Amino acid sequence: MTETVHNLLLGFSVALSPPVLLYAFVGCVVGTIVGVLPGVGPLAGISLLLPATFGLDATKAIVMLAGIYYGAMYGGSTTSILMRIPGEAASVMTCIDGYAMARKGRAGAALAIAAVGSYVAGTVSVVALMFLAPPLASFALRFGPPEYFALLILGLLVLAYMSSGSMVKALAMATLGLLLGMIGIDQMTGYFRFAYGVVELGDGIGVVPVAVGLFGLSEILATAGQETPPAVIKPTLRELLPSRQEWKDANWPIWRGTVLGFLIGIIPGSAHIISSFVSYAVERRLARRPEEFGQGAVAGVAGPESANNSATSGAFVPMLALGVPSGPIPAVMLAAMMVHGVSPGPLLIKQQPELFWGFIASMYVGNVVLLILNLPLVGVFVNLLRVPYPLLYPGILVFCILGVYAVNSSVVDVWIMLVMGLVGYLLRKLEFEPAPIVLGVILAPMIEMALRQSLAMSDGQYAIFLTRPIATTLLAVGVLLVLLSFKSLITHGFDWRERMAMAEKGEEL
Amino acid sequence: MRRARVLVGVVALAVVAGIAGAQESYPTRPITLVAPFPPGGVADLTARPVAASLEKILKTPVGVVNKTGAAGAVGMQYVATSRPDGYTLLLALSSISIIPEADKIFGRPPAFTVEQFAPIALVSADPTVLVVRTESPWKTAREFIEDAQKRPGQISYSSSGVYGTLHMAMALLEHAANVKLRHVPYAGAGPALTAILGGHVDALASGPAVVLPHLKAGKLRALAGWGEARVASLPDVPTFKELGYTDAEFYIWAGVFAGKGTPEPILTRLRDAMRQVVADPDFKGAMDKLETPIVFKQGEEFQRFFDADARRLAAGVRRVGRIETK
Amino acid sequence: MGASRGLGAVGWSEWRHAAAILGTCAFAAIALERLGYRLTMAIALGFLIGVIERQGVFVTLTLAVALAAGSYLLFDTLLRVPLPRGPFGL
Repeated sequence: MTETVHNLLLGFSVALSPPVLLYAFVGCVVGTIVGVLPGVGPLAGISLLLPATFGLDATKAIVMLAGIYYGAMYGGSTTSILMRIPGEAASVMTCIDGYAMARKGRAGAALAIAAVGSYVAGTVSVVALMFLAPPLASFALRFGPPEYFALLILGLLVLAYMSSGSMVKALAMATLGLLLGMIGIDQMTGYFRFAYGVVELGDGIGVVPVAVGLFGLSEILATAGQETPPAVIKPTLRELLPSRQEWKDANWPIWRGTVLGFLIGIIPGSAHIISSFVSYAVERRLARRPEEFGQGAVAGVAGPESANNSATSGAFVPMLALGVPSGPIPAVMLAAMMVHGVSPGPLLIKQQPELFWGFIASMYVGNVVLLILNLPLVGVFVNLLRVPYPLLYPGILVFCILGVYAVNSSVVDVWIMLVMGLVGYLLRKLEFEPAPIVLGVILAPMIEMALRQSLAMSDGQYAIFLTRPIATTLLAVGVLLVLLSFKSLITHGFDWRERMAMAEKGEEL
Repeated sequence: MRRARVLVGVVALAVVAGIAGAQESYPTRPITLVAPFPPGGVADLTARPVAASLEKILKTPVGVVNKTGAAGAVGMQYVATSRPDGYTLLLALSSISIIPEADKIFGRPPAFTVEQFAPIALVSADPTVLVVRTESPWKTAREFIEDAQKRPGQISYSSSGVYGTLHMAMALLEHAANVKLRHVPYAGAGPALTAILGGHVDALASGPAVVLPHLKAGKLRALAGWGEARVASLPDVPTFKELGYTDAEFYIWAGVFAGKGTPEPILTRLRDAMRQVVADPDFKGAMDKLETPIVFKQGEEFQRFFDADARRLAAGVRRVGRIETK
Repeated sequence: MGASRGLGAVGWSEWRHAAAILGTCAFAAIALERLGYRLTMAIALGFLIGVIERQGVFVTLTLAVALAAGSYLLFDTLLRVPLPRGPFGL
């Protein structure tokens, strides 16, 4: 314990030295801008700015890049809440309840809760990272394709909780998303699927153009032409802060989101994107009034925002403890380290304590910096909404197109966004929920890949899922959850969803 | 009459000035160096020092643009179809030879062909190395191969993707040593490395720089390399050539290409510039940090290397054929 | 389970507006790599603000140019993302 404290002090002495502090600050600011820009998410931000760090020494470079990653997670919630445009894929769930809160005039409260939730999650998860990195990393490495597959199947179950109203509609949307996710190169055999000769579709439809189009563009399409433009919200200062009840409502979701996000984040692979989706589902399942979700439930903002921030710390665990690239973002960070002559690996913590502990300390510092940055910015951003809509939305549109284009320098991505914008517009009119589509697009390629890799590993034996303890446990949990949901059928009660639907139709229970 | 002569004189002067200007004025605009892989990968990390040095030498901004997708096909196709005026260059990896062959196998119209490029220079050529975990029973390459011969299809290996560089390296070994291994493709070199570290597969063919830290930490063991000579940072690791498997030769190389049809003077200028790039101390320092030795080939030499490599890889891809899954 | 409303009951009043916006975006997608970023965006914005939203000439011009140039600056300078340049280096 004392050794850890000693190391931490060493870390803080590095992190609080003015040059490093400056770079952390720069990283946070740039990250916030990147997060606010639609389409350009943390991966794009870090990749774009990687070359800018070549002239710096290793610690400053890593600290700045981590700041960008964090800042992007904080910033992504801003556009989600204010304009229903996801700043990155992980902010999609915040679009739903966050934007609903904004429409009710609680934009400031939503932003503040998101900021505070992100801060708590960020800080707590860094503490966990500090103490638990090596043992957690070894555990995380044991997640191979079969375990991944089981986890993702659990993720599919999450889809059931993502929409209000008709289950059939939600499943239809999920299926659409899963189908869209099948476009691209089949990783196992090299066949191009549904690409119709367009090389850019080889990697599939990116989740970013889909999310921005489905949520952001469709919002613009639906709102821009209304005869009565949306009422400009002019909140007073008191209205900017969350009420006592709202803080109370946010408390448990923040803690749950933190734990959940961290656990999901440490798993190698891209699973950390689904942390916010899973948190949303958990919050809805545990809520006393689940029908609030979709209309502006505080838990629907607090949980996912905390989850996606603590997932970022979780993602660093295998990277720092073992030098294993556990996802695209840690891979870029590892590359940054290599470029600066730091060889990542299991000995990183021992050989480069200033780097590791300086990094940890700068994450604490970064979280504080971002909280201080974001809270006053709440007022600034909300004032942005005062611009008359006919002048505001062209600007938003420019940034959407620009952001989506910039990620891959690809016009095809812009077209995908346009098509999904049209789809999202139509879905709104027909009262379908777009969120399951996004989850489907993310999950489909991952599930298929995990299944086929598992079978390749076992030479075709399906028994592999039962011979590996972690995979079996996860699958058992999934089966249990499905059985539990059938309980209502057996006991002849109506579950809350049907009660809601009946209430909508004005029937009596 | 006089006016006509003056006119002809002016026109002649303009034409001469124009030609002279065009010849000496390359480059007049910023140049784009296309890296067909995502940032942080080998291609990207090599492209950036190249771009930085070229910028100094050609005295014009050289920007790296990552056009990613389809294992590099998107970026490569973009350069192949751009105007060959010397302002759009490509930093390609060995996969440039693989992708058109793979397209042929699937009966697809190829995204591009190797003939659509004019090679400028080779910058690095890392031979891949075969690594296994330290806990595994094979201490030498021979033990590994003998075991594989005894148990065909039982030893598994990960790769960065089907027909990718890491897959092809293993495919060449399978052919040269007459063994059959079990292939588990992953989406990229990073996940492939994670897989072997987690014990989910038995072996991996990897570029040396990426696995070096793990070799030093004692987590992985290198058995042999696919190069002509031993890897500089791994002097104790023999090559497959030494062990008698001469067909197992594979490099993850990076080279600069321009579109075919780029005017000769511009190509010459670029080749000269590249020669200066590899002599540039900044460039050398950057490549050192990446633990990637500079291997410079140009002109005839590069063409020969490129052709031989392309032939080997094409044969390898055809042998792998279409993968039918159960 | 809740039946959905019939197709005719859905309000489509703003579809022309939405179609115009989509059309402008499609133009932007087509022109982006041919005309260069700034020119494309300036035209698209000019069309949106001036023609569809029918704001005054001064407002339209200012906003179109400012947004196109400003966003270009943000990405080119801060994020060092090369955006397409069209003829005249625009």
